[in-house]
Amino acid sequence: MKTLLLTGGRGVNMTPFSKTRPNSMIPIGGDYLIDHTLQSLKSAGIGSINMVVGHKSEVLSNHLGDDHFSDGNIHVINQGKSSTIGSAMLKAKDRFAPGDHFLLVYADIFSTSNIFNLALQAFGLHNEPTALICLTQSGEKYGNVYLDGDMKITKIIEKPKKKAGLGNYVLAGVYVLPYRFFGYLKKTRGNMELALQQVLKKETLRAAIWEDNWLDMAFPWDVLAANRNIMELWNSTDIHHSVKLNETVIKGPVKICKNAEICAGSVLEGPAYLGPGSFVGHNVLIRPNTVIGSDCVIGQGAELKNCAIFDNSTVGRLSFIGDSVVGAGVDIGAGTMTINRKIDKKTVRVLINGKKIDSGLSKLGAFIGDGALVGASNIIAPGTIIQSEERIEHNFSVPKSTGTKGRK
Amino acid sequence: MCGIAGIVAHEDITAKLVDSIRNLEYRGYDSCGVALMNGSGVISVSKNVGAVDEVSEKENFLKMSGNIGIAHTRWATHGNVTKANSHPHSSGNKAFTITHNGIVSNHDNLRTELGKKGYKFKSGTDTEVIVHLIDDQFKKLGSVESAFVNAMRKLEGTYAIAMITAHDKGKIYCSRMESPLLLGVGSDANYVGSDFNAFINYTKSAVFLEDGEYAIVTHENHVVKKIATGKTVERDVQELQWDLEMAQKGGFPHYMLKEIYEQPQIVHRALDIDGAEIREMAKAAINQKNFFITGVGTTFYVAQIGQYYFSNYAGITPMVISSDEFRFLAQVDSKSLVLAISQSGETYDTLSALRHAKARKAKTAAIINVMGSSMARMVDHLVLQGSGPEICVISTKAALAQMIVLARIALEAGVMRKHITAKEAKTKEKELRKLPNAIDKLLNEQSAFIHAIAKKQSNIRHWLFLGRGRYYPVARESALKMKEVSYVHAEGMPSGFLKHGTIALIDDDLNSVVFTPTEDEKDLFKLTLSSAEEIRARNGYVLGIRFKTKLKQKLPFSDEIVLPKTPSFIAPFLQVVVAHLLSYFTATTLKRNIDRPRALAKSVTVE
Repeated sequence: MKTLLLTGGRGVNMTPFSKTRPNSMIPIGGDYLIDHTLQSLKSAGIGSINMVVGHKSEVLSNHLGDDHFSDGNIHVINQGKSSTIGSAMLKAKDRFAPGDHFLLVYADIFSTSNIFNLALQAFGLHNEPTALICLTQSGEKYGNVYLDGDMKITKIIEKPKKKAGLGNYVLAGVYVLPYRFFGYLKKTRGNMELALQQVLKKETLRAAIWEDNWLDMAFPWDVLAANRNIMELWNSTDIHHSVKLNETVIKGPVKICKNAEICAGSVLEGPAYLGPGSFVGHNVLIRPNTVIGSDCVIGQGAELKNCAIFDNSTVGRLSFIGDSVVGAGVDIGAGTMTINRKIDKKTVRVLINGKKIDSGLSKLGAFIGDGALVGASNIIAPGTIIQSEERIEHNFSVPKSTGTKGRK
Repeated sequence: MCGIAGIVAHEDITAKLVDSIRNLEYRGYDSCGVALMNGSGVISVSKNVGAVDEVSEKENFLKMSGNIGIAHTRWATHGNVTKANSHPHSSGNKAFTITHNGIVSNHDNLRTELGKKGYKFKSGTDTEVIVHLIDDQFKKLGSVESAFVNAMRKLEGTYAIAMITAHDKGKIYCSRMESPLLLGVGSDANYVGSDFNAFINYTKSAVFLEDGEYAIVTHENHVVKKIATGKTVERDVQELQWDLEMAQKGGFPHYMLKEIYEQPQIVHRALDIDGAEIREMAKAAINQKNFFITGVGTTFYVAQIGQYYFSNYAGITPMVISSDEFRFLAQVDSKSLVLAISQSGETYDTLSALRHAKARKAKTAAIINVMGSSMARMVDHLVLQGSGPEICVISTKAALAQMIVLARIALEAGVMRKHITAKEAKTKEKELRKLPNAIDKLLNEQSAFIHAIAKKQSNIRHWLFLGRGRYYPVARESALKMKEVSYVHAEGMPSGFLKHGTIALIDDDLNSVVFTPTEDEKDLFKLTLSSAEEIRARNGYVLGIRFKTKLKQKLPFSDEIVLPKTPSFIAPFLQVVVAHLLSYFTATTLKRNIDRPRALAKSVTVE
């Protein structure tokens, strides 16, 4: 079946990382989200993918490389100035023919199991338009569906207000739709929600329930959840033969890649991942659910816990990074602390695009954008966002030399 | 719902065909049959009452032979479960044989017309009308295809039909109108099926028929045409990506959830059961000096819920005895009525309770789901609940339908005994009519909240399920659901019991669920809340399943599932559905074997 994969969205809530990359290029569990998606599509038997790109598409094309674009399996369409899902889809219309059904995939969706298999199977049951649905704790962000006893969707309530007290299965971002759908999109000026309503009105939209894990990679803390979902499936340790380990304690399942090095006195508590070429100094404590990308440097005596460090970043000595996501090429100075809990132990709210969003998590640290520079000795409040390329000075308690006489 | 299968090949297909209907058994399994045609065009038909393996053994299906055949597994909705009524049906001269799924609404008129022409009917089915109609058309037109199409044009209602005929060997004719049918395309054989479970073991290539189309299938090819115009329709062959079990669940991850979602429709059906049947049962109940209701497991709790409805609305308290204990406790005599509740109609303990009653000359009655079962055949009064096949071992929809039937009988009995007025009964019936919608709303608006609570509390290994009045048996039934599907310990009891001992258990490791009555049931409401407060006072966790109130103060619950304001007559039933979801989501979080929990069987037919 032909597939339409939407990667062009701006991912505005994935701040600060969305400034420098599309959501599909968020690293999770040692790969990028797009790698997982393409791999799942491939193993579901999908041979031909039409990928709509847009926001920061150069990051995606650099990663996939020319090979991916020329072998005919992936056809790339630029969505240009299209600002909605529907208008981005319409750009790809010519790639499909009347009578086709196609698999529509939002590239922000992540599951450790193959969600596309279910979509294809569910479609095969009736050969009717099909939407995958799932349960989430945050139904107010998605289209809530009403189902009848035959798994037909009878109604979709988009983003119901919390006080409406609605909470059912939501649209999971994976569909099998007919070519006619482009017609509905045209009619509704590229409004995906209205176009789906047209399907409900004019034909049948079947649902299939996805019960396995499901994440919409929307907010920066979703990176941590995705890492956990991947790593909780690990049941063995995998250390590349080139890795240098010196008196290191390793507990639980860990993956340590090519040419990584860990110095004496360090402790690795799995599940954890250490990317190729990364260096971990002496006496470092790496606690569960930590993912460190390639070519990173973790300074002596640092502690890392439930965090993601993208490629080429440095964490200075005696720092603590917990429940946080650190972008690529970030330099964190020595003795920097991410504080990961509010003093009242309430859930942490994060300022995202001018809105305070409740993360629902009582332990949450900081999100540091690609290329940021954080000076030594900074104490970072829970839920802080540091933009990419931002420069934060050292935080000296003794900023100047006290002179020859010394302080009084 | 019934299942149709057909195979056309150039070698013997008997075993494959029997396998096909076995895979369609989930669509219904009260009777079945096969028709096979050999190379010289002789059709042999074999059929009987029972599930596929049972009938296959009884009728020696596998000793038959043929390279073309059609088969059927039936779930009766109209017409009794008898050998004569089971499919396939043949024309008088045996030249045409068909299987049919659906309801032909003009069959009475057609039967009269055909009767005038001398056709004799062996069964009460609409299917036999179709086969005679085809035969009649063939006599007139001389062509099988024209006869088939003309007959289809005369049918009103819904159908999926497969036909073989001695007049046109080597082919299966089939058609569809609002009942499912599709073709399977194999390398050396072709297939017909109600769904692709019929042939998925042989091919994954399928052609979907649409309403108002017919197809002619040989072992090498197939052609699809419109019934109305006779024009050929081009249809692509689709590759199916579906395994057997998933297909039968129709997109739901488990039968349990599928059956939970069928409940609005099942309640409708229970409400559509003929009033005369309900009245007859009510009369039987009040005319005897002693009235017993018996069931075991879930059906025992169903009986208990019935007991409260009889008490509250008919002013009588039936004796409710678990059927495994029946013979040790029940003093039945010729002045007793024993009403048994069973989904399968084969439950061993309940059958022995009925036998015990019959031996003491008591009148017997039953509310059951499977037509033609042992209980159906032995009792004096029978109500068939019409809930369709229930596959999940955990009973959800069937149990709910039984509660509704009991509530209806209680209302009738109340009117007969002048305990309530006919007007009051009408109001309650109207409230019952609101239940399907209320369940639909509950499923579609609360599932995520119930899921969130189940997930959050899934580490808890001990639960108390508490209720008062009619909500007490609801609590017990809900606790049983939790136990059987999630393997989590749950104890259902009257909330009044708490302070007489059980409250000593309250701690961090034990959660409570309080089935809270509607605000209108003032006493019950107040008393139930005070139980919740007792637990909260000891720092216990309480999940309240309650209805919207006008009260300003916060109710004493740690978490709550708030249902819309609901008439008290149907409120307990709605809470039953909440409990279904709560136990389902707890079990999915704990990754239990939902449809086949360990150590349990669907129909317990042993002592």
